[in-house]
Amino acid sequence: MHAIQQQYWAVRDYLSPVLKESKFKEHGRINPEEFVAAGDFLTYKFPVWSWEKGDASKARDYLPADKQYLLTRGVPCLRRATALAYTDADEDAERLLSFGDLSATGNEADEWVETHAGRVSTVDSAANAGNIDEIPDVDEPSADDVADQVGRMSLQGGAGAVGEIPDMDEIPDMEEEDLEAGDDEATAAPKVAVPSSGVIEAGEVEVAKGNLLQVRTYDVMITYDKYYQTPRIWLIGYDENRTPLTPSQIFQDVSADHAFKTVTIEAFPHSASLQAASVHPCKHASVMKKVIERMNQGVLEEQRKAFGAGAVSPTTGKDKQKKWLFRRTSGTGKDVPTSPAGEEDIEGMRVDFYLVVFLKFIASIVPTIEVDSTTAF
Amino acid sequence: MPIVQFTPFSSLVQPAFWHALTDFKIDVLRLSDDSVTIHGSYATGRSVKDRESGAEIALGCNLSVGGESFSKTDRAPAHSAQVTGVFKNYNTIEEFKAADKTALFAQVTDEIWKSITVDHSTAQLNRFLLITFADLKKYKYYYWFAFPAFVAKPAWEIQGDWRAASDEFNDSFLSAIEATQLASPRAFFLVRPKTGSDEPEIAPVEEYTQFFANVAPEQRTIAFLDPSATPSNPGWPLRNLLTYLHTLHPAPSYRILCWRDSERPNGAPFKSRFGVVSQGAGEVAVQTEKPTAVGWEKNVQGKLGPRVADLAPMMDPTRLADQAV
Repeated sequence: MHAIQQQYWAVRDYLSPVLKESKFKEHGRINPEEFVAAGDFLTYKFPVWSWEKGDASKARDYLPADKQYLLTRGVPCLRRATALAYTDADEDAERLLSFGDLSATGNEADEWVETHAGRVSTVDSAANAGNIDEIPDVDEPSADDVADQVGRMSLQGGAGAVGEIPDMDEIPDMEEEDLEAGDDEATAAPKVAVPSSGVIEAGEVEVAKGNLLQVRTYDVMITYDKYYQTPRIWLIGYDENRTPLTPSQIFQDVSADHAFKTVTIEAFPHSASLQAASVHPCKHASVMKKVIERMNQGVLEEQRKAFGAGAVSPTTGKDKQKKWLFRRTSGTGKDVPTSPAGEEDIEGMRVDFYLVVFLKFIASIVPTIEVDSTTAF
Repeated sequence: MPIVQFTPFSSLVQPAFWHALTDFKIDVLRLSDDSVTIHGSYATGRSVKDRESGAEIALGCNLSVGGESFSKTDRAPAHSAQVTGVFKNYNTIEEFKAADKTALFAQVTDEIWKSITVDHSTAQLNRFLLITFADLKKYKYYYWFAFPAFVAKPAWEIQGDWRAASDEFNDSFLSAIEATQLASPRAFFLVRPKTGSDEPEIAPVEEYTQFFANVAPEQRTIAFLDPSATPSNPGWPLRNLLTYLHTLHPAPSYRILCWRDSERPNGAPFKSRFGVVSQGAGEVAVQTEKPTAVGWEKNVQGKLGPRVADLAPMMDPTRLADQAV
């Protein structure tokens, strides 16, 4: 059934026309040229992202051959999203996020609530890992059946709690401690107290106390989805021993609202056989439209002000710090670094920023994976 | 003086590599178990700030192989150094277990030693070895990496401690190095200040003699792309680089710059480290014999043994169908 569905998607993708005109402000969708422009901006601003060619036989002809999809490797993920269960006590930790300048829109309803701000995870993730089957799957009529399957999956996959130790029978019995004469004194010993091999610098004591950290890393890809005319995000994860994560383990890093619903494992479109977790793009356009509308107002207002002042010509707008990014208006009180906007006329938000905004939206689906490098630094 | 402890390489095998291996085994290798040349790469060590505890978490010292590792024209990803390795796949688990690992390891160290003493080249210093057994029906891959490094006797010692590179060099000096490294990353390079100015000059390690001919020892700096992110442990590549320097260009001490900045945002401090290393007290004879080497990767349990990658959850069509909604 799954295979048939994937075939159907492939055909649908093939038949759907390539979007020609620019639509990103009207309904949040972009065409391939705009995807490339936004991708160029992203790779320029944040060099952790790079363009990839992918499998030549899978190349999409509406994208340049050497710019098929965007990739960043080794994105850290320090904690499990499932450990961030929301409680009443967390309401104090909420803070407001606003798009653009608040005074420009003059509408407090435009603010978003960011939860979990500065929250310390209290759940011992080492003990809690692998409990993915606790996520209630209310939409599914045969919930028991699914829970059953999931439980079996995490058993077979080896739960993260036991450090991804595969079945003992599976390991070929060939440990050869005598392969190297004695311990090499010049080899930095792995920190034994901490289960993760991610060695901790300054806060070693603090972290060792609760064994909170299981540092996973993710390879994140952004492709262009022709049918939905939006970018689409793909994830391949590794645990702290650099073993590839199983689907159930990946779902631990997806917020509970989205696991098994909007995030599924699919064939990666630019490879012949690779499978990766993906956020389904059917809602991307409408969410992006809302975000862009709000940000656009702020940017427009800002630009009008710049012109109204008269003294500032568009070309000198460069040294002005544009506040087109989200700003934290409360909480830590530290502003997210804003980026200098390029020379702009009064045209509102440029499509170049599309992917930067997109990553912020994705960050809400996978809260613990630091995909949003625009604020991580 | 404390002994320099190096962070060993950890292998990072992208799932795409196993897919490529499957195709390569079926289409090219078939039943052959000959050695094949593959490519891997490593990038500068990364650390990430934990938003909750504020601690800086160092990520692993990774050497990664990916989907393009088998292709002959593989180029390293941006900001990373490419390394060449020997790959050997066995047809049965028994052959994999019975493999003469000591001989294979010795073969690779011979090649590295030859590249140092005969070719005077740094291109092969990070040569690695990978042996595998692929159970294609069960989507299970048994593998064992070795990253050979020569053992220095007596061991290298650090004068004082490793400290921030910005203590030693000013920011414009480091920024200039950063610009060259971003344009074309080098695994190993030499740095000297331009005479009469504050600008750095950079050259390949192979040009050591000419480049440092009229440079005072306290201005000679040897730098390498450091995959480690722990403050007081330089990465594995430095071991063989020191062997190279000690063999070809003996000196009482070396000024080492561990280059760790490739994704530095504007205005952020440099993460690179600097230290002066020397080899114990007294006269040290120049090495003419091949030194012993170490470098088999330990498995998840911390023992010397192979690892296993189980890709069934991500490759087996029936398992995938199970979790699809």
